[in-house]
Order: sequence, then C-alpha cells, then structure tokens
Amino acid sequence: MKKKNKVLLIGWDAADWKIIDKLMENGLMPTMKKFVDSGVRGKLATLDPPLSPMLWTSMATGVRPYRHGVLGFVEPDGKGGVRAVSSHYRKVKAIWNMMTMEGYKSNIIGWWPSNPVESINGCMVSNLFQQEKKGKETVEINEWEMPEGTVYPERIKDRLKELRVHPAEITGNLIMPFVPQALTLDKKEDKRLTVISKFLAHASSIHAACTELMETEEWDFTAVYHDAIDHFSHAFMKYNPPQMVGLDDEAFALFKDVVIGAYIFHDMMLDRLLKMIEDDTTVVLVSDHGFHSGHLRPTHVPAVPSGPAIEHAPYGVFIARGPGIKKGESIYGASILDVTPTILSLFDLPIGRDMDGKPLVDIYDHPRTISYIDSWENVDKPGGELVEVKEVYEDTNEAALQQLVDLGYIDDVKLNDSSEENEIYLKGIIRENNFYLAKSYSSFGKYEESLEILLEIENKKKPDFRYLIEIIECSIKTKRFKLADEYLQFSRKGSSLSEVYMDILEAKIQIGLNNPDRALNLLKKAKASNPDNSQILFELGRLLNSLLETKSARKCFKKVVENDPENAHAFQGIGLSYLREEKYEKALDNFLNATERLYYFPIAHFHLGETLALMKEYEHAIQTFELVATMTPELPKIYRWLADLYDIIGNQEKAEYFKKVLKPLDLGERVIITGMPSDKLIGILEKLTVDGVKIDGNLSDLFGSEISVIETNWLSKYKEKIIFLPLNFIASLNDIYSYRFIYVLDNIHNVTQQTNKKMKIKSSTYNKDLMEAFEKQERVAKIWLGQQPNLDIVYINSIDDLDKDIVKKFLI
Amino acid sequence: MGSKKSSKESSAAVIIMNGKPFEVPPGGTLGILALGNVGIRAWKKASMNWKEKETKEAGNEEKK
Repeated sequence: MKKKNKVLLIGWDAADWKIIDKLMENGLMPTMKKFVDSGVRGKLATLDPPLSPMLWTSMATGVRPYRHGVLGFVEPDGKGGVRAVSSHYRKVKAIWNMMTMEGYKSNIIGWWPSNPVESINGCMVSNLFQQEKKGKETVEINEWEMPEGTVYPERIKDRLKELRVHPAEITGNLIMPFVPQALTLDKKEDKRLTVISKFLAHASSIHAACTELMETEEWDFTAVYHDAIDHFSHAFMKYNPPQMVGLDDEAFALFKDVVIGAYIFHDMMLDRLLKMIEDDTTVVLVSDHGFHSGHLRPTHVPAVPSGPAIEHAPYGVFIARGPGIKKGESIYGASILDVTPTILSLFDLPIGRDMDGKPLVDIYDHPRTISYIDSWENVDKPGGELVEVKEVYEDTNEAALQQLVDLGYIDDVKLNDSSEENEIYLKGIIRENNFYLAKSYSSFGKYEESLEILLEIENKKKPDFRYLIEIIECSIKTKRFKLADEYLQFSRKGSSLSEVYMDILEAKIQIGLNNPDRALNLLKKAKASNPDNSQILFELGRLLNSLLETKSARKCFKKVVENDPENAHAFQGIGLSYLREEKYEKALDNFLNATERLYYFPIAHFHLGETLALMKEYEHAIQTFELVATMTPELPKIYRWLADLYDIIGNQEKAEYFKKVLKPLDLGERVIITGMPSDKLIGILEKLTVDGVKIDGNLSDLFGSEISVIETNWLSKYKEKIIFLPLNFIASLNDIYSYRFIYVLDNIHNVTQQTNKKMKIKSSTYNKDLMEAFEKQERVAKIWLGQQPNLDIVYINSIDDLDKDIVKKFLI
Repeated sequence: MGSKKSSKESSAAVIIMNGKPFEVPPGGTLGILALGNVGIRAWKKASMNWKEKETKEAGNEEKK
C-alpha cells in the first residue's frame, strides 16, 4: 500500500464563525487566521436535532442519525438502567474502522461518543477518559483511577493517566485570563469558577493525550474532539458583549471575557498542534453547529430535555489546509455529513454509495478522482471491535450522566430510586430518544416515518409541547390537515404552546386547507402582538408571496433580514417577490444572496435558474439547473427547463438527452382549458362538448367552489386528457405533469357585468372590488403561466377560434 | 521541544518555548497547558517541586 499524506482532524464543538471572524480581525486568534488564510473555509450545515453526540457520530460515519443509531445523550444499558450515550448503539462503521480496514494507523481522542474504545489499528482514547467524578462526587487526585474501556491499547494507559489534569489542579493563574477579577470571588463557592476549572481541565487532558499520541505513536490519521467551546458558550455566552437586557452589571463585568478566553485558548492549542506536524499533513478543523451570539441569543432556555440546544446556531465551521487544497478561498454547501467522505477522499479511499454525505471536491485545487463502493458495511476486513469491559464502573457512568444533568441536557437522574421510578425514568429516556429519531426522519423530509413514531410515543395525558409541534408540522407536510387540526385544538385546550405559536401553526393548516384569508388574519393577529418576531414575519411573507401581495411580503422578509442578515430563506423570499413582479435584476441579487448564505438550498437555486432564463442568460441558467439536478434529481421541472433551454441555444443533442431523462419522470400531459368566469367561457365549453370533445371537471363550477386541491394528487383523478380548471386554481397545478393551456380571453368589464348579473346585482353597477379582484386574478395567472418551463399556451378570443388548426392540434 | 532541568536550580521545571528556555511557574500558565503533553509534564513537575519545597520549609520552621 502506498502511504498517503497524514490527516489531522480537529473537532471543536459549537465553534462559530461570527466569534472567530471577530477575534481574527482583532488579532486575538493569530494561529487560526494564518490557518484559514492558508486553506479553504466554509460553513458546515448541521442536522436537526442539533444534539452533539448524534452530530459527531454523523460526522464520523457520513450518515444521518436514523441510520447510525446514536440518539440523544443517554441510552438504555440493556439491564434495565440507563447510561451516558456510548459506542454500543452505533450501527455503522466509523471513519476509524474504515482506516483500520485499509491498514492505516489512527489516533482517535475524545470523540463523542466513543466509550468503550475500539481495538482499531492505532490508539483510541474515549470521551470518558478525563472524567474526574465518581457519581455526583468529585474524586480526589490521588484516588483518581482511569476506568476500563477508556483507552486502547492498554500499553498507553499509564502515560495518558499521568497527563490528565484534575479540576482541583487549575490555579488562579489559569482562571485569570478568563475572569481577570477571579480573586475577588471564592473559587470553591462560586460555581461559575468551578465550571471554568472543569472545562479547562477537561480540554487540557484531551489536548495532552492528543499531543502525546501524535508525538510518540506512528499515525496516518489523528482525530481529536474538544467539547470546551460548547460548554463555555452554554455557561457564559449570556455574559458575552453586548450586555443582555436584564443582566446585572457586576456579573457582566466579571464574566464578559470567558467565551473569548475559551476561543483564545483553543487558538493556542491549535498553534501547538500545527507546530507538531509536517508540512505535507492535511489539517481539517470542523464544528458540529454554531452558537448564537449578540442579539440572536435566546432570552431563556426551555426547561425540557436537550433544551440548551436552542442556543445552537445552524452552521458550524469548516477549514481545510494541506497539499492539493486551495488557499484563501471559500467553499459552499458543506454539511457535517460530508466530513467522512472528504477524509476518505484525502486518502484516495472509496466513498460508500450508501453514505448521506459527499466528498467536498471543491476544496481541491485540481480535479480529483473519487472512487465509490456500495457500502463500507459490506467490506469483509477487521475494522476494530468494542473493547470488552469486564468491570463496569457504575460510578463512572453516573458521573457521565451527572455531567449531562449539569449541562441541562437531561433531567435529573433517578438511578437510586425505587425500581418503579427507575422504570418510569427508563421509559422516558426511550421515548425521548424516539423523539430524536422522529426529528431525524422529518428533517430529511421523511414525514411519514416521523409521524408514525410520534403518534406512537405521544401521550395526551402527559403532553410535551415539542412532540405536539412536531406532530402538527408532520401532519401538515403529509396533508393530514384534520389530524393537524385535532392536535392543534388539543394544544389550545391545554395551553401547551404559546398563543402566538399556535396561531402560526393554525395559519399553516389554513393555507393547506386553501383558506388563505383565514391564514392571513391569524398571522396578522400574531404579528400585531409580536411585530418583530422573525418566525411570524417569515410565515406571513411566504403567504403574502403566494397571494401575490409581493410588496407586503418583501417588507416582512426585509425585517427578518434586519434581525438576521444571514437568513438565506428570507433572501429567497425577497427574490421570489421580485420574480413574481418580473423585476429580474433584483430577483437575481436576492437569490444569489440566498445561495451564498446557504448553498444546499435547491429551491433558491431553482428560482435563480428561472430568473436567469427569463433574463435570457441561457448558458448561466443551464449551469444553474444542472446544479439543481444534482441536488434534487427527482424534480421533472428541472429537466423540462433544461430540455427547453438547450433547444433555445440550438443544442439538439442535449435537448433530446434531457427529454429522455424526463420521460420516465413525466407522468403525462394534460390539456387545461381555463379563462375568466364569463359567458364566453361557458359558450366555448358548451360548443366543445357539442362537438364531442370530452372535457373533465365541473363545467358549471366557474369559480372552483367544489374543487378540493388539498387531496393528494387531486389532478390525477382526472383520467381524461382535457380538463376545465377555473383560472384561480392554475397555480395549484402539480409540476409532476406537463400541460398545454387553452386560455379563453375576455374583457374584465364583461366578466364583472356577468358576475353582477348572476349575483342579482344590476349588471351595469360599478363593482370596484370585484373588478380589482378579477384584474389581480388574471395578472397572477398570466405571470404564473409566463414563468413556467416548457408550457404551451394558445389564447382564444371567440368561438370561431376553435376552428383554427393550432387549437384543434391542442385538443387532439 | 522538551522538558529539562535548569542548570541554576535543579528543582525548577524548564522547557524551551519559542527557542528560549522558560521556567514553568508552579501555578502554570495557559501557554503551558496549550503545549499539551510537554507543558503538562513540566507544570506538574514544577507544581510538585514547589509543594515539596513548601513542605520542607514548613518543617524547618517547625524545627526552629
């Protein structure tokens, strides 16, 4: 086997670009600055739920939590008890197993979760190695043992044991950089100083183990994980400048430097690591999520399991530096799922086709050949087994659980209570982990699977607002509006959720039920009491956009952007509002803003492609649609655009190719007859019927009052190929079909007069509101039709037009 | 980089930082912790030496 360059992977839980960029700018993270400048940087999208053990396991396996099996912070121990999340539940190979299979030597230090360690080719130090507690009590230094299963192989145990730092060893000297006035506080009494000692001791122990193994062991791959930035941020971000409303001045003055101190310390540790390696070692630094700072900090943390995760921001950091990697550039669209495939590509090892992530090929300064295998699970080579632990240290487990309680991630552990209470606690843990499993499914669009689990674990006698929200959201996504409404009414009765949040959910249900006015009223009501709430503004903006109230929609989205300039979804909303107004330049700017902030955003790329096509920038539009096709290959609309665009630029070969791609996805063509609700339309429909043309749909229902678009695939019920559809419904047409339109034109005055007559109002009455409504309906329809790919339309002015060849051709 | 004994005082822990010898204070520094294995070994040694020295001095005081 030809040896490849070494790879050092550094994991900093919760490291956030906003803080890092500011510190680099102020010269406070000089090593990081040099490191970033000499490599590529990017944002790493996290997964939902953003819980670290699940995320770091996805990072180390390349698959989503519902596949890797590590769920939450604690797990059943198989003996009726619970234990801190461990390696036992991981169902797939981790990167260190793959490296072992291929003969590479690894050092894996502190990865969460990695206890017990595995017999890999190399050394492994688990996330419990630095644990200094015995149950709830802190162990004295001279009695501090290292439990079985925390280190592999045994021969390195003594060396690493002496390198651990106990929190009691952390002196005032070491605390002062974090809290300059620490001496004014009592270290033993002030819990905030105690936790700084603990976080610092843990980080130092992990760093010492890492440097020791890097220096003394032969290795190809070293991966080290630090949880300190996450822990420091959860405990002290509320003290970070600017001072939060309600925080007392004294506490602010004392602890305002703690988070910054934590980052600076990590910069110093990074400096040491970078000085230890050879020039041709590739270094990758990642975090699993970011951390809200500034005005995005939540004002309170919900008192529920994993409540502190509300402080996590959706993007972590990604930096890579090494031979063959670009310098000083940014990459886009990276996710934590991409870390393992990228590490494999650095070693020229194949990527499993069953992995959810992809290799980040944009980091390379020249094209790189990527190879694939079906799955690493099928590779029949030893990759390391879990080390057998003969004596389970209950105290170590309790200590690990207690740490999670201290961090607010789980409820207080009741392991010593009666067996009945123990059982209730265990059931609660299983239920909670199933909730995370459901969330993992729904965050990947698997709403059916998620809903099935949620309905199983939900208990109306003991409602949990998180479960209720998820059930309602999944019911809406799967168009089970009745079920969504049932749970919403239940939530309203029990006041499980805030009034405003319930209004938002009800608005979503009403949109699904095609009651936009009711939805609008609910959102406006919610906005009136919370004018700056980004969630309300966002939902309102979306609804207004779909109602073609584009200016009002834009106002909402712009306010969201004011609150959070990184909100890609709000930029997408602004772009869409301009696209609907046919202001393509402005639409383009905003779609670019959206995709720059969130690269893996297929719908924003799709609208970007549409905008470019409508601006006649055909080549760029083609590139954009081809990119969308790699993100969501199942959407026929993309291939329709591509076939159309290649046709326009005269590349018949490609146009034919995309037509072929489209064929199996295309569920057939429908001919739609539509137009303003007038006598002319009725006359034309009658004439066609008399002529023997079979038209589906209710021909006397000109306003569509009997149509229910909420039924899944409502259009597929129309078996015949020619359908009458009222004009106000055309934007609901599903894009899985192709369409040919016969559009009956009429004068708005005629339409209004005839409608007045039907409403038994004098036909000549000037009905301003009705006229405006018709005008708007027609405008909306025409814009929508104009923006659809590969859509053929023929306009009819009179009954005589039915004899024209083109119309006859449409009706065949 | 590595730990070695100072030529002036055998009980002190000295390491080479940025090419220059640096005597590790018994209270440690963040820079020493950030050195990892090398720094922690030197700091633990400095701390132990200081404690021994303190104990010895306290013993001498008692004798006086």
